[in-house]
Amino acid sequence: MGRENFHRILEETQQDVLRMGSLVEEAITKAVDALARSDVKAAEEILRADDYIDDLNVLIETNCLNLLALQQPMASDLRTIAAMLDIIIDLERIGDHAGDIAQITRNLANEPHLKPLVDIPLMAAKAREMLRESLDAFSHRDAQAAHDIPRKDDEVDRLYRKVFAELIQFMARDPKAIGRASNLLLVALYLERIADHATNICERVVYMVEGVPKKLKRSVVEFAETSRSSEEASPAAAEGGA
Amino acid sequence: MAAIVIAVGAAALLPPPLHLAAVIIALFATVALVVTLVPAQSPDGGVPIVESAGHMVPVAAQAVAGATNAGTIGAANETTASLAPVAEPDLTGVLAALPVGVMVIGDDGKIRAFNAAAGELFGVSAERARNRALIEIVRNFELDRRVTATLRTGVEETGELPYSAAHERYLQVTTRVLGGVEGRRSALVIIADQTRMRELEKLRRDFVSNVSHELRTPLTAVKLMVETLQSGVEQPASDEFLGSIAQETERMIALVEDLLDLARLESGKLELRLSTVDIGELCQHAAQAQARRAQTLGVALECSAPEAPMKISADRDKVYQVVVNLLDNALRHTPSGGRVDLAVEPGDGTVDIVVSDTGGGIPSSALPHIFERFYVVDPARARGPSGTGLGLSIVKHIIEAHGGTVEAKSELGTGATFRCRLVAAG
Repeated sequence: MGRENFHRILEETQQDVLRMGSLVEEAITKAVDALARSDVKAAEEILRADDYIDDLNVLIETNCLNLLALQQPMASDLRTIAAMLDIIIDLERIGDHAGDIAQITRNLANEPHLKPLVDIPLMAAKAREMLRESLDAFSHRDAQAAHDIPRKDDEVDRLYRKVFAELIQFMARDPKAIGRASNLLLVALYLERIADHATNICERVVYMVEGVPKKLKRSVVEFAETSRSSEEASPAAAEGGA
Repeated sequence: MAAIVIAVGAAALLPPPLHLAAVIIALFATVALVVTLVPAQSPDGGVPIVESAGHMVPVAAQAVAGATNAGTIGAANETTASLAPVAEPDLTGVLAALPVGVMVIGDDGKIRAFNAAAGELFGVSAERARNRALIEIVRNFELDRRVTATLRTGVEETGELPYSAAHERYLQVTTRVLGGVEGRRSALVIIADQTRMRELEKLRRDFVSNVSHELRTPLTAVKLMVETLQSGVEQPASDEFLGSIAQETERMIALVEDLLDLARLESGKLELRLSTVDIGELCQHAAQAQARRAQTLGVALECSAPEAPMKISADRDKVYQVVVNLLDNALRHTPSGGRVDLAVEPGDGTVDIVVSDTGGGIPSSALPHIFERFYVVDPARARGPSGTGLGLSIVKHIIEAHGGTVEAKSELGTGATFRCRLVAAG
């Protein structure tokens, strides 16, 4: 394999990472959309699409290992390959979380909604935006953007705390709602984790561009605050959430 | 809109590898766009002549051949003379001006051409897109897959594609093969945003479904009661059934009349019979007409208007319908013991008709939708049979037909206020 061939395969592999990313992005939106509409058919499509994500994962990993083994890349190229190997792990996990949400849609299919979903779709949109921007930063090798994106995690965490408090309220008021509310709690947790995976991708981009491994600041969900706010939350406030 | 004709024969003037003329030809063949730089009229001088892409090629070739043979534009025959100014069109400019997104993807997967409409669809400038891989610019797996398939196998396809970035959109995507130099093929991608069309289709479906539902419900009740009567029910039960049948029939008539009114309003066919109307007197009259109903419901209905006549130029019957619809809506949502106020308030060259109630109010999420057809906030909260969901939509159309505005303000638990603002008569 000549150097020209090496760079062609490296470039194509980077494009495959973006392809995998676009599949994962769509899976997040579709999963929450299917949940909001109790659309079991759409949920099953998401579960099937997870196979494509896994196939791309294997393809990218194989290409990266081949490049490492056969070309002994150095410096920036080596860091790009290392970053890709990490990024696809995060993407694969995000895909799994989308699958988990689709599974919850299947589980809740025959149960009425606690209420129309409001904050969960907002969390999904925000987490997806973070993922898209982190992949843009990867595509453009933009370390500055990669530094900035994790700040958006604060908003996802704020929504998570809000949803958490509201769902606890539902459970406290009506024990029959515990099953549905705890499933929605899991959905919120998966979305919060997706935003964290986007932050991981940003860290890999910073390493890829700057050559220095860096832990980017991320917000920590304060559960003490969450439980306090759930006690303070008025029933009226619970009307418009989740 | 005048059609535009382009001399596609000018393709020969363009250097490879882009072959913009070829792109344009393929585009026409695909979306049947009409093209000419000369306004073309039908023989009767009315509707512009629409030429198919198939017709255009010989015409353009004739134009170019004519100009070439004669040596000068002035020597060309009448047909070619009219087309001569387009012998060297700026096809890049044409591509940029097209209202549909157009991209050309090279066999290496890189974007070779990307027009302004595509840039708007995907939020990327042409400069940034050029020579980048498609997946880097348009992060949609399915679009990338279709283009890759066209490049690899030559399979051309057209189909709808959901595309979600900031908003969910529906794109009609057509991929075509373009022959290139030395057998290297490119893919032409034409993208039309179908989101608005989808929304209109949904509106139509919802409308048909709502009307069917609204008519079927009373019809079913009437059918059952008639069947029961036929089986030989005696008085007083039969009187009760006949009363219910009359009531359901009235409901259906009201719905059909509302629908006809709305259809006339929306199609702009409603002719306003303008006269000078004393809006204060009109409101007093409307309030009196609703007084008995308000009394039955246990709701206090008050009308306040300045003593001096408040004149507006309006269609009296239509404005009366506005006031009645607003009062009907307020009474429907106000519990017993509550009140409904109708007021006429003069402004600076305007007159406001204000209807406020002490009902349960409208949730903020519902406020933007209450003037939509068939939108009912919560039928369970209404008193008695729910409305047709058309009353407020009719109000909005009538007021807007008079050049006025209507707005609703409300908070849950504190009632609602509807304010119609009309221009005072000079």
